[in-house]
Amino acid sequence: MPDTNVDDTNAANDMLDNREAKQKRQSFIKGLLAVLPLTIAVIPWGILAGSLALEIGLTATQSQAMSAIIFAGSAQLVALGMIKAGVGLGSILITTLLITSRHLLYAMALRTQISPLPLKWRLGLGFLLTDELFAISNHSQAPARSKPDSLNPQKEKQEGLKTEKQSPESQRHKFDRWYALGGGLTFYIGWNIATLLGIIAGQSIDNLGELGLDFAIAATFIALVVPTVKKPSILICVLVSLTLAVICAVFEIQAGLLIASLSGMGAGFAYAKLSNEHKRMTTDEKAKVNSTGEQS
Amino acid sequence: MTWLIILSMAAVVFISRYLLLEPKLPLKLSDKTLTFLSYSAPAVLTAILAPIVFVPEGQLNLTFDNTYLVCGVVATLLAYFTGNTLLTTVLSIGLFFILF
Repeated sequence: MPDTNVDDTNAANDMLDNREAKQKRQSFIKGLLAVLPLTIAVIPWGILAGSLALEIGLTATQSQAMSAIIFAGSAQLVALGMIKAGVGLGSILITTLLITSRHLLYAMALRTQISPLPLKWRLGLGFLLTDELFAISNHSQAPARSKPDSLNPQKEKQEGLKTEKQSPESQRHKFDRWYALGGGLTFYIGWNIATLLGIIAGQSIDNLGELGLDFAIAATFIALVVPTVKKPSILICVLVSLTLAVICAVFEIQAGLLIASLSGMGAGFAYAKLSNEHKRMTTDEKAKVNSTGEQS
Repeated sequence: MTWLIILSMAAVVFISRYLLLEPKLPLKLSDKTLTFLSYSAPAVLTAILAPIVFVPEGQLNLTFDNTYLVCGVVATLLAYFTGNTLLTTVLSIGLFFILF
């Protein structure tokens, strides 16, 4: 009976498909779990985005559409502030471009992993690429902090070289599209539900913005920025940006975000250039090697 | 007008996210540009968070009465010493809602 044979191969294929599907599902769920804490942290922020949009005069549909189509919390909130202040479209778009320009960098970092994927994956993961998704995609790849071993700089150098060689490979095979999709989609859905809550609550509660929901933004960003401050130039960048942002806020300068960010970036860049941050670190190592060499 | 703002913002945001994922795009960003861009995340995120923490009601407030500042400092310390995003956000937001 030829029918049974066909059934057998079908069954085998089904089993293979099942195993693959199971792996995909597991990766997806892993991504979902990884982004869950960040999704919870973003709820107050989403509520704020929804309620603030209503308060400024957007319709409920427009308020939800901001989260559904733009899907960029900080750009949305800053734009809402500018719409309220009556700022023109051009300035809103330039500011949006500046706020969102960090995504160029995230895409740059993920380019080797995502650009070989089929178009629908590139478009999908591209649309879902947020600070949070980038954080969880890079989390498992974060290099361990090197422990300086001043007694044996030579050895340290050799080990440094070794890890340098290993890292690109381990980065490549650790990227899992289903993991990223699970994380990205979970965050997208969470953000939109939170916005919806804000729209619903905003219609019944006045001045939701005064409940202090904006602290959630500050807390999330502090948690994302602090671990990136690994070099003096980044510290300079953060301090300059912080100081100017505060000054601009005190004097109610509309372009404050633009001024503070660009100045911070410029200051960090200039400091790194002037102090030869990259080169100096390597010469320091050489100096160490030399001095110990002379002593022994 | 609002729809125009929403749609054009969506375009700007999506392009910034997708552009460098496009394999057909020959990458021609100079090293200098990339180094400059590498400061964009900390600079922009800081410029957004700083006014929330230091200027909560439109006025500079550097006292202990400023719950935003107190909890912001707590969050910074937590992030610095634990490096744990979940712990940092949940504990500092929790503390904020207790104090606020």
